[in-house]
Amino acid sequence: MSRNPGKAFRNTSLIAGVVAAATLLLAPFAGYAQSASGGDRWLHVRVVSTDADGETVSVNVPLELAEKVLPAINKKELHDGKVTIDHFDGDGVDFRAVLEAVRNAKDGEFVTVTGKNQEDVRVAKKDGFLLVHVTDNSGHMGHRHHAAEKDADGKGDKDADKHADAKDAKKDTVSHVEVKIPMSVVDAMLGSGKNELDIVAGLHMLAKQGDTELVSVKDEDNTVRIWVDSKNAPAPEGGTR
Amino acid sequence: MIMLAKIGLGIVGTLAVAGAYTFRDGVMRVDVDEHHAGGDHVHLWFPAAAVPMVMSAVPDRELAKMSRQAREYMPLARAVAHELGQLPDTTFVEVQDRNEHVRISTHYGAIQIDVTDPDEDVHVLCPLATIEDITQQIAEVRPDEGDNR
Repeated sequence: MSRNPGKAFRNTSLIAGVVAAATLLLAPFAGYAQSASGGDRWLHVRVVSTDADGETVSVNVPLELAEKVLPAINKKELHDGKVTIDHFDGDGVDFRAVLEAVRNAKDGEFVTVTGKNQEDVRVAKKDGFLLVHVTDNSGHMGHRHHAAEKDADGKGDKDADKHADAKDAKKDTVSHVEVKIPMSVVDAMLGSGKNELDIVAGLHMLAKQGDTELVSVKDEDNTVRIWVDSKNAPAPEGGTR
Repeated sequence: MIMLAKIGLGIVGTLAVAGAYTFRDGVMRVDVDEHHAGGDHVHLWFPAAAVPMVMSAVPDRELAKMSRQAREYMPLARAVAHELGQLPDTTFVEVQDRNEHVRISTHYGAIQIDVTDPDEDVHVLCPLATIEDITQQIAEVRPDEGDNR
């Protein structure tokens, strides 16, 4: 027993009051602390620009969030997490038919296109991935062509064109685009109706994959990377981890 | 003396509980600082628990108008707010260039938007639970409600 029951009671009341107030105050965070567990898969987009502004864009989206939120968007071709490609203008290309053909084919390189402007497109299937590799050298060619036109018209200032050519030469660049999508994701996206791509099913399947770099774009001014991993923040620089 | 102490304890306890109750849903915060002569400096902090009360004071006609304008986006906003609340603190979007820095992140169950540029700094903090409540209230209003009043 305490020697001073009144004091002990007052102390107990004070502590009880403080604990009650603290519990009420912190209650909103309790749920947060419980739910902040790992195991989620995250889609990351990172754009790094090396131009004068040096812009860096970083987007981190949990796949689960995208899976749950997409069905809530019903706008134009997107509905219930699916994209209707009925009237999709693909410049005469039936993307679904192309994907179906790739899905049913064996591993290998299917399409290799080398264009007049040195753009090189390769589509392949390897180790369960759909690979698309585009190398584009056309940027510099376009500038030169434009300068040549001006000369032919006789309207162009030759000095200015020389200056422009020198500037273009500095800008001469090759852009590389690499896309790597697991075939299981392609399968899941094609799993719904004939004229639909099931984006949510694709995301769901993507979440089951290991760490994967999906898209990489590199040119003189910009680097774009899209990848999936289990971290909720992008790697400081470079790789997926 | 003991009586005074009891009264003091009662007042302090009541204030603590009232404060805890008022701020149980967190704080909404808006800070705007304009970096030029005579620029505004707005620092607004208020309990998120007050927002539903304020919403209930908004005339039905205005709520119906809001509902008409934003109805299609409410389920989306609500779903996003709910799901974000389940996630650990994260920076979802960050844009940085030579002059400007924009960041959208979650912080202890609230969404935080920070914009810093040479002209002004803007910081907004809003508890996700409050966004859920507001979007639900707006979604529940019938768009034609209040038109006949």
